[in-house]
Amino acid sequence: MQNTIVVPKFRIGSRRFDVFPLWIALLIAGLVFGAFGGYEVFRYGLQVTGLNNHVTWGLWIIVDLSSIALGGSAFVFGVMVYLLRLKRFEKVGRLAVLLGFLGYSTAGLVLLFDLGQPLRFWHPVVFWQHHSLLWEITMCVVLYLNVLIAELIPIIFEHPVFAEHPLMERFPILRKTSDVLLQFAHWLHKLGPLWAILGLTLSILHQASLGATYGMLTGRGIPFDPTAPVLFIISAMGGGTALLFLLSIFVFRVMRPGLVDDKTLYDVAKLAGGILLLWVYIRMWDWAVVNYYSVQQTITTQTELLDKIAPFSTSFWIGQILLGTVAGFVLLYAGRIKNWKVLGTTAVLPVILIVILRWDYNFSGLVASFSWDPFTPTIWLHSYTPTWQEWAVATGVISYWLLGFSLAARFLPFQSTMHSEHE
Amino acid sequence: MTEKKLPQEEQGQDISRRDFLGLAGAVAGAVTLASVAGVHKSQASEHAPEEGGHRWGMLIDINLCIGCKYCTYACQAVNNLDDDMIYNVVTLETTTSGDTYYLSRNCMHCEDAPCVHVCPVGATYHRPDGIVTMDYDLCIGCRYCQVACPYDARVFNWREHDGVSCRVPAFGTPEVDPRPRGVMEKCTFCQHRIDAGLERGLTPGVDLSATPACVVACPTGARVFGDLNDPESPISKSLTENEVIIRLREELGTEPKVFYVPPQNI
Repeated sequence: MQNTIVVPKFRIGSRRFDVFPLWIALLIAGLVFGAFGGYEVFRYGLQVTGLNNHVTWGLWIIVDLSSIALGGSAFVFGVMVYLLRLKRFEKVGRLAVLLGFLGYSTAGLVLLFDLGQPLRFWHPVVFWQHHSLLWEITMCVVLYLNVLIAELIPIIFEHPVFAEHPLMERFPILRKTSDVLLQFAHWLHKLGPLWAILGLTLSILHQASLGATYGMLTGRGIPFDPTAPVLFIISAMGGGTALLFLLSIFVFRVMRPGLVDDKTLYDVAKLAGGILLLWVYIRMWDWAVVNYYSVQQTITTQTELLDKIAPFSTSFWIGQILLGTVAGFVLLYAGRIKNWKVLGTTAVLPVILIVILRWDYNFSGLVASFSWDPFTPTIWLHSYTPTWQEWAVATGVISYWLLGFSLAARFLPFQSTMHSEHE
Repeated sequence: MTEKKLPQEEQGQDISRRDFLGLAGAVAGAVTLASVAGVHKSQASEHAPEEGGHRWGMLIDINLCIGCKYCTYACQAVNNLDDDMIYNVVTLETTTSGDTYYLSRNCMHCEDAPCVHVCPVGATYHRPDGIVTMDYDLCIGCRYCQVACPYDARVFNWREHDGVSCRVPAFGTPEVDPRPRGVMEKCTFCQHRIDAGLERGLTPGVDLSATPACVVACPTGARVFGDLNDPESPISKSLTENEVIIRLREELGTEPKVFYVPPQNI
């Protein structure tokens, strides 16, 4: 088993240098930019955004929904490793847990800015309104974030610094603390199957509910879609697994050669490809139901109007169906293609698909909304342009995600020395 | 377009268990009410929350609306709203025959209100008298109610409000507490007027100080307010007198408690 972490270096002329410090500096600059935007939002409220009473959910909601979806591999691989006992995916599964944690914490962070009353973020946990999808999502996300932390702690404590450090010899209290923490981490690790079951349950619940958040909007036309929950779950599984595959190439193949064999990585790609093709199949049926079997003039008009101001239909056919199909087939045949550059590039497509799907669901009904005129009902077009504060906050939270991943990729071992009963 | 004769005559064909229980309760309540107080059965609501309780509703006669926006301004004065915060929207619309008319629209106070269903903290809720209202101390400002409302009736408080509305004092004076920045707001049928009026023995819809400000301000009497459970209330009488009554986006099943008399030349 390999323990060495190979640091990729860039070459300029005959010199090779490590760009990691520069990359981290860039991400910190992103965080600082985000802090400026965040300060403006907290100081002056949401009036500094481009949101309005018609388009009331904007860029941040897309970041929120997408980061949650891109963390979807965590529950998929929790099930594979701990319930289906496919142990060869354990190391990849650890990366999935990290992506899950980063995705969900990013979502929580960006939502904090999106609330009109950010200091009341805890209200849904205390003041229950169990009829609300958003309440259910909040509870699931809060609980699942805790599950992810429980899964992440043992991974972090695999780092050698927690087992052996010169300061421990000098300060025995550090040694004792480390022992207690390692025991706690080991105990959490042993509960892996429990976390997997909880993760699966909570994820299915809230990924579906995120789709239903839009799917139940009877008065909004296009987003009113009973298939939305299924589309959201499956796209999160497929897109999240595709992102996991992409980053696994970097973390395992490039930085930790030999830790995970290529066949396992191909299998991750195949899984992503298969799920994506299933998603395309269901999405096509969904399209057929809306546009062929039960044509509604209002939705047709809504689509036409959206097409006038944005490439709405193009984003469906190219951004969802074409990307999903191409990525699905290429990843499904990863074992035959065996070209890491092609496979890695292709794995980016489902990530784009995830964002486009959520973008369309969010904006279609808000930008093209129905009037209330009972005699000659029309559809009104509204506009929304994110302000620099919104871009700043989005840059800040994405920088946080990238920073978390970069530090983990550089320093975490991703291999287990803990042996539990299920192994 | 959706048309109906009278609200009590148009109850749906599909009855779920919840509807059935609600209907059973309402019938029991209505029978009791009719026998005790001599109230006509048809006026009792199937959604009546409590026996003998009030159920407030509004009727807007489109033929009488002249688009003066006094309702908008009075609402802004009483609720102390900034000029760009409007609970009561008046728009110019067109009939199928091409005639224009003014559509005055506030919160519909739906029986099956989407905003109540979606609120994650229960900040938007139904009062026992059917008014859809807000607990501003609970609201987290997620704006899901705004996304879910099919009538665009919800208004977000984007900025700190200092000072008084520019509609004060011409159209009234502030009567409610200021709301903090970052919460969702809405028309409450001037619940503070209703509650204070009832305490003083007044009749909302009849006595002006107990009636929503928009109704009082309307110079043409296009707005009628009252207790839908009381057959003698102005709204119950108006609903009976008018042959055709409509409600907005009725196909969504939200059961609004704001009714309209449609234009004569539809």
